[in-house]
Amino acid sequence: MNTSPITTWDGAAAYFTFADKPIVMYLILAAAIVITFGTIIMAAIHEVEAFKKLEDKK
Amino acid sequence: MGVLLMEGQIAELTKSSGMLGTVDMEIFYWWCTAIMICIHAGFLAYEMGASRAKNVLASGVKNILAFAFIVPTFFFFGWWIYLAFPSGIIPGESGAAGLPWAAEMGPNLSDNASGVFWAAFVLFAATTASIFSGAVIERIRVSAFVVLAIVLGSVAWILAASWGWHPDGWLVKDWGYHDVGCAGLIHVVAGFFALGVLLNLGPRIGKYNADGTANDLLPHNVPMVLIGLMLIIVGFFGFLGACLIFNPGAQWTNIYGQPATLSSYAFNTLMCFSGGIIGAWAMTRDPFWMMSGALAGIFVAAAGLDVWYPPLAFLLGIVGGVIIKPGNDFLSRMGIDDSVGAVSVHGFSGVLGVLAVGVLAAGYPNVGDAPPTSFVGQFVGLIVMLCCGFIPGYLVSLALKSFGVLRVPDKAQEIGLDLAEVPCQAYPEAVGSKSATLIPAE
Repeated sequence: MNTSPITTWDGAAAYFTFADKPIVMYLILAAAIVITFGTIIMAAIHEVEAFKKLEDKK
Repeated sequence: MGVLLMEGQIAELTKSSGMLGTVDMEIFYWWCTAIMICIHAGFLAYEMGASRAKNVLASGVKNILAFAFIVPTFFFFGWWIYLAFPSGIIPGESGAAGLPWAAEMGPNLSDNASGVFWAAFVLFAATTASIFSGAVIERIRVSAFVVLAIVLGSVAWILAASWGWHPDGWLVKDWGYHDVGCAGLIHVVAGFFALGVLLNLGPRIGKYNADGTANDLLPHNVPMVLIGLMLIIVGFFGFLGACLIFNPGAQWTNIYGQPATLSSYAFNTLMCFSGGIIGAWAMTRDPFWMMSGALAGIFVAAAGLDVWYPPLAFLLGIVGGVIIKPGNDFLSRMGIDDSVGAVSVHGFSGVLGVLAVGVLAAGYPNVGDAPPTSFVGQFVGLIVMLCCGFIPGYLVSLALKSFGVLRVPDKAQEIGLDLAEVPCQAYPEAVGSKSATLIPAE
């Protein structure tokens, strides 16, 4: 996959992958945000269930 | 012909000298950031040592996650908050360079500064989260902790920094607020954020008796605590170095653009550090508080590290070392179980640090139209810092509490959080542990 936004180093500025494809950049960013906050939500759900099981063992 | 050749050589030399300065600047912040990671190694050891044996790894997991979640969230919105909000609560166009899709927020040959500045600020942010982390060990849910750490590290403190640290911040421009080493911006904000959370979180099981008297829930490994605290001190040398602005080819400035030297930080950081230890030693004879005193000493002097006469920084350090144990005892009598004394060490010392500049360093000129340092300016800044810490800490933890997801249930606290939620053991060969009872194969 050609992800380079540049074809020469002469005069290059922002050269990170997909720097010239904002839609792809937004999708990658959105995925990173969803995973970051998704793991927190999953951890909260897991904790609720795990502690409930522990309480039920009484 | 000879003149033309010489001009060309001078132009070439000027260009390479400028580039060398730019690269030196990058290198300086890179290594400050690396050294700051010692703060997190230190907090990790500190919190694990301060926990009881049954909660060691759970405390460690929580601390590691604070660092891990601050990094991406500070990329998503933390840096934008710093750049966008210096004038108040309405975001300005200056925030565009901090948006996560900006050209500055990634590899860019025309911008050597954004990445290393962002990284240093990430470590500042993660430090605030780690300060809060120690106060709540042994009874907070991991998910709730991560949410609170993000609110503190990637929103609350950085908003305070945009107001009181950014050279265009309204506290700087309108009030001459001076806090070069973040006594208020980080230590007051994080300490009082922790206090707000502690009010909703409540004490650990067994901390208080029915008659209200407190029990000591002793750390399981004091040597680990002491090594952790010393590592935090190492990290703070990176932290405080990164609070200065490296101007290639010119004198250092502090974050506000006032001329400064790294030497001033060297004099005063070491003097207040030792003052803190001596003050706490005189008061307690307890190594836990002596090393906490070293931190408190630095925080009491932090706001004016660029201007103190070094023996004055030493005396300020002594004040920090003297007040932290009584401060923590007072909170304990109020029913607030701060497991490591973070509110006292960071919050109370930070308050004194901000006010110390107002009392003992008033009248220093500012740059541009900003007023000189003054007691009123420091007092206004202090109120803002207290609000930036306490209000979000209290409100977000209250919301989590109302949903029943803030505190670990009593039964899990009793058996220990490691057994309840960590899939490995800290000391598998200890007497009484699962592995210790296994008979090895011949």
